[in-house]
Amino acid sequence: MSEKNLRFLVVDDFSTMRRIVRNLLKELGYTNVDEAEDGQVALHKLKTQHFDFIVSDWNMPNMTGIELLRAVRGDAQLRTLPFLMITAEAKRENIIEAATAGASGYIVKPFTAATLEEKLSKIFTTLTTA
Amino acid sequence: MSEFSGMEELLQDFILESCDLLSDVDNKLVELEKQPNNTALLNDIFRGFHTIKGGAGFLNVKAMVTLCHRTENLFDKLRNGELTLNSRVMDVIMDATGVVRDMFGPLSQRQQPVSADPALLAALDEALAGSAASDAAPAAAPVATAPVVAAATTAPATASGAEPNWATLMQVIVPAAAVAAAPASTATPVATQPALAPIPAQVPAAVSGEVLPAAAPAKTPAKAAPAKTNAPVSSSQQENTIRIDTNRLDMVLNLSGEIGLTKNRLTTLRTEILQGHSDPNTLRSLDEAVSQLDLLVSDLQNAVMKTRMQPIGRLFQKYPRLARDLARQLNKEVELIIVGEETELDKTMIEDLNDPLVHLVRNAVDHGIELPEERIAAGKPAKAEVHLTAEQVGDHILIEIQDDGKGMNADVLRRKAIEKGLIDVETANALDEKQCLQLIFLPGFSTKDQISSVSGRGVGMDVVRTNIQKLNGRIDITSVPGEGTRISISLPLTLAILPVLVVRACNQAFAVPLAMVREIIPIDPNVIQEVSNKPTIVVRDEILPLKSLSHLLGWEPTDKPAFGVLMQSAAHSFILAIDSFVGRDDVVIKPLQNIRPKGVAGATLSGDGSVVLVLDMEDLMNNKDVTPAALRTPEYYPG
Repeated sequence: MSEKNLRFLVVDDFSTMRRIVRNLLKELGYTNVDEAEDGQVALHKLKTQHFDFIVSDWNMPNMTGIELLRAVRGDAQLRTLPFLMITAEAKRENIIEAATAGASGYIVKPFTAATLEEKLSKIFTTLTTA
Repeated sequence: MSEFSGMEELLQDFILESCDLLSDVDNKLVELEKQPNNTALLNDIFRGFHTIKGGAGFLNVKAMVTLCHRTENLFDKLRNGELTLNSRVMDVIMDATGVVRDMFGPLSQRQQPVSADPALLAALDEALAGSAASDAAPAAAPVATAPVVAAATTAPATASGAEPNWATLMQVIVPAAAVAAAPASTATPVATQPALAPIPAQVPAAVSGEVLPAAAPAKTPAKAAPAKTNAPVSSSQQENTIRIDTNRLDMVLNLSGEIGLTKNRLTTLRTEILQGHSDPNTLRSLDEAVSQLDLLVSDLQNAVMKTRMQPIGRLFQKYPRLARDLARQLNKEVELIIVGEETELDKTMIEDLNDPLVHLVRNAVDHGIELPEERIAAGKPAKAEVHLTAEQVGDHILIEIQDDGKGMNADVLRRKAIEKGLIDVETANALDEKQCLQLIFLPGFSTKDQISSVSGRGVGMDVVRTNIQKLNGRIDITSVPGEGTRISISLPLTLAILPVLVVRACNQAFAVPLAMVREIIPIDPNVIQEVSNKPTIVVRDEILPLKSLSHLLGWEPTDKPAFGVLMQSAAHSFILAIDSFVGRDDVVIKPLQNIRPKGVAGATLSGDGSVVLVLDMEDLMNNKDVTPAALRTPEYYPG
């Protein structure tokens, strides 16, 4: 299957940010994108629809990105889904926390399409080699 | 080239969403003042700044990122218990929030806002470091802050913030990226100067128009000068976009689909009738189809109107902060209590209501509420309450602002008006208490002896009234000395559709607003009584003046008026004498271009396609008593 057909779920509580991420993905040729405004909504969508990739913000109300990540990794159906975490901080402890929880990648706001592409391809490489 | 070319839509979204977020933050800040240890509030405010920072980062609005970043850091420490909130920290935070909001001004003009006042950034840094020192609990603090405590203790946290050590402090506290983003403010000793150094962050040519099709009016960039003002609401931010509940939009779509189907039905019926089929069945079908269309169109009108309806809370939510800031400035204690924020009102009206309401809230706090000492002396609680309420009453929206302050004294108002030369002594003495209150609506009236920076320039209340009247609204005032003042604003639900009564006079149809019509009565010439030479009719013990519509218009009556429409408005109750009436209708007023005949609000089309003038009764009544002399002459009422 071509990577460009992958179905993305963009999770962020700020609709402007979802739109930004969606636009960046579109720039890279990924047009199959759905959105969720927090972890809870995302988890529900993940359980009822098929997705190939999660791009999630960290700091959200109701259910944060890291909680979503833990829920996804703890779910038999979803545990192998690639999960890219977006945050505004490049704090060491945050990166470590995300990595321990099983994030596939970590990207710091603001980022460009090029940075996003680089992160994505890194994740794809690990996927195919694994 | 605009800095934001290609991102205009995104920018609009960002501004809209962030402004909402910021209003929410503002309210939570006012809440936080009451309960400084509420972790949920701290978390929410932290996330607010964090989210705005994230968006601003993508749009490359560096000034905003820098400011939000520091504020966010401050809240991070507050919610982790590393810092405690005190009134000085609170003031800095409030200032920062105000400046962030001000930055949306230039942004909506597609310009980069200038950097925040270095003094503010320094104050934020000081709050970040200074309070930590006073807390002196290094054991609880994470490793990273330990050196800060040390550094801060060597330089005592004085109010002036004159230590040269900010650069070092910054590097310790703030991640390297953010320091790089704001080198100017940290590396130079600017931090000690409270004076603003407005750095033009962008060349004025940035608005040169080539990229902006629907371009905003080219306001001078000078307007964007960094001001440490407390004015949180910049009225220049008009919104061109609207957010609509998708259910409401679907309703519009469904109804227009239905109307399409009914139109098809009518087209078929027309063909049949044109071909000579006019049997009862066809005609019944036609009748049904037209009735259905009637229903659908009125449903569609309602549905479209609903898409324009917005909760007034979007406006109200800006005011607690406004009241709080003003009260602090004046050393008063005021709580603004809001009720009915879910009440919906036409979007354009909500926008036009902002300035009047801001003025009224300010007036209540500045003029209405007394100082705490005075309040205690008067046996009131030190903390004053200002109630701002909105509710729908019939087809009107009622907005009230009520304070428990000192109220207005009729004699004082009377004296002021005379002193200012607005009215003469005789007129003043003739006014009763209620009429005295109306004096505050006179241009140039201000009850304060000294002009304050807050309100009281005397340009206020008359402008407020004019603005409300432009919205077809009414403003009333009641006041009890020592107990407080209540100002009520009554507005129509929407400006788009006006229910009217269509009447005839001089062989012409006129529409009068149905809101003013109380009842229609036949005029029996025998019951007309003369009271001080003016014709009146007694209706249920109430003596009402009789005014002929043709005379109000300045025309010669062609016929003897047969009906009277009992009209009621805030100022007058009277009977409008007309020849006959057609019925009620919902009309869309089209303004007359270039001409504005007295007493005419506009024109509309009637069902048969003829033009009907819509009357503005208040305006018509102000046509100083063209006394309906003819009505009194026996020719018209023989016997």
